[in-house]
Amino acid sequence: MAGKLVALDEASDLVPDGASVAMGGLMMTGAPLGFCRELIKAGRRDLDLIVMSGGMNVDWLVAAGCVRRLLTAIVSFEGFGLAPNFRRAAEAGAIAIEDWSELTMLCALRARFAGVPFMPTRAGLGTDVPAHLPERMWEMTDERSGRPFVACAPLAPEFAVVHVHEADELGNARVLPKLTWIDGELVKAAERTIVTAERIVRTETFREAPERTSFPAYAVDHVVHAPRGAWPVAMPPDYDYDGEFHRRYSRAAADPAEFRRLFEDEVAPFPFGPPEWMR
Amino acid sequence: MSGGAFTTEEVMVCALAGELTDETRVFNGAASFIPIAAFMLARATHAPGLTWAAGSIGVDAHPRAIPESTISDRLFEGATMLQSSPSDVWAYAGTAKLDTFCFRGVQFDPYGNVNNTVIGPYEEPRVRLPGGGGMADLGCFIAVSLLWSTTHDTRTFVERLDHRTCLGWGDGGDHRDRLGLPGGPRVCVTDLAVLDFHPVSRRMRLRSLHPGVSLEQVVAATGFELVIEGEPPPTPSPTPEQLALIRQLDPTMMRARG
Repeated sequence: MAGKLVALDEASDLVPDGASVAMGGLMMTGAPLGFCRELIKAGRRDLDLIVMSGGMNVDWLVAAGCVRRLLTAIVSFEGFGLAPNFRRAAEAGAIAIEDWSELTMLCALRARFAGVPFMPTRAGLGTDVPAHLPERMWEMTDERSGRPFVACAPLAPEFAVVHVHEADELGNARVLPKLTWIDGELVKAAERTIVTAERIVRTETFREAPERTSFPAYAVDHVVHAPRGAWPVAMPPDYDYDGEFHRRYSRAAADPAEFRRLFEDEVAPFPFGPPEWMR
Repeated sequence: MSGGAFTTEEVMVCALAGELTDETRVFNGAASFIPIAAFMLARATHAPGLTWAAGSIGVDAHPRAIPESTISDRLFEGATMLQSSPSDVWAYAGTAKLDTFCFRGVQFDPYGNVNNTVIGPYEEPRVRLPGGGGMADLGCFIAVSLLWSTTHDTRTFVERLDHRTCLGWGDGGDHRDRLGLPGGPRVCVTDLAVLDFHPVSRRMRLRSLHPGVSLEQVVAATGFELVIEGEPPPTPSPTPEQLALIRQLDPTMMRARG
């Protein structure tokens, strides 16, 4: 097995324009924001971005113009308010949005790794969710019970990008204290997986405690050393979410000039200029 | 609301806590500040056996305060287990081992269906909202749904939703039965009143009025006809013991953010 290490500033080369990219994390925890910044710096565009429960990751990539289509169940800064660029891009019609729910997305990922044409669920019945995503899910009736279900078609992201605490150059990776959430399903379903890691450690570290490994080397294609690679969201127990940044970002979004300054100084230069709603 | 002694949010916390029992096994999603305060209050008072999976992850957590993210590890302090995979939570909720969840949205209709996706036409929304997260899922099968809203007005309580993100009682009557779904919303706690649902029609019914709120005020603030049976009683005011506990459990007043 050759080493899988890729430098952070070369990691965006792994993902071509137009790719479908699923990102891990849960709201304000564990999302690969450092990798998002690299995608922005490289001017990646027309991405199909898959983020089940997101916030700053979605807002950055949408603000920078990298996203063509967003597949999501929720995008929010929670107690810090709405994600401003996600909101404005949606209202301006600048991105296509697929409104999934968490469990239908999970079922679609499971259909992919179960190798079946759909995964049935009770989730979404009686709501408007399936009708807006006819290619992704549909209502069906089970012949034996006569009951209705929502059938979720397989979802196979080209890339999963997940952030972990520790990885080795072979691709073994672990999240401490094991808050993997959706990341585990993304790695299983994706065609290729990119792990960004707070620390690169020796393989011996995994052999000493194999029960703590989150993702096996054989399922990981690339490893990127990305210290503080979740900032400004949290990577517990190493660091908390940066509430001060979330507050300043939300405040700045009310003033295009102020937002441009903040984004270019603290995130990355806009590859295609500031978004139309920030001009 | 009468100033001084207690706030509207504190009335709401107590009203939600009143729906929880010693047997409740509750979990929470994003931005759920009033519900979390209610879970901790119930556990500290009449429901010591209540189990709360903080942020759907930290089982039986005892945090020192409520953070800005209610799915944050800051909530997991003292937990006996971290349920770190959605496979845990969805399976336990699917078999009613976890049995209670609180939902909020930007619009509610007479049958307790909830919208948290868009205001205006779906394809060209006037306001884009965060989305439903797990609402479209849990609304279909969680055993006990509790709704809350800090904006009881005619923009929020509407005859027709712009998008049905979360299933309540659907089209009313036996709609959930016809879909083969258990559960259904039990109450909706607002900043003006506690509403429940008529057992046959499943339309929202006025159960109690918060202290200082009049019947006319609630009727005028609701964009559809509420079921009103007789003279609604007042929602209980928080007791001094409850208030002291709420302020201790939520020292940074996150409950004011809803």
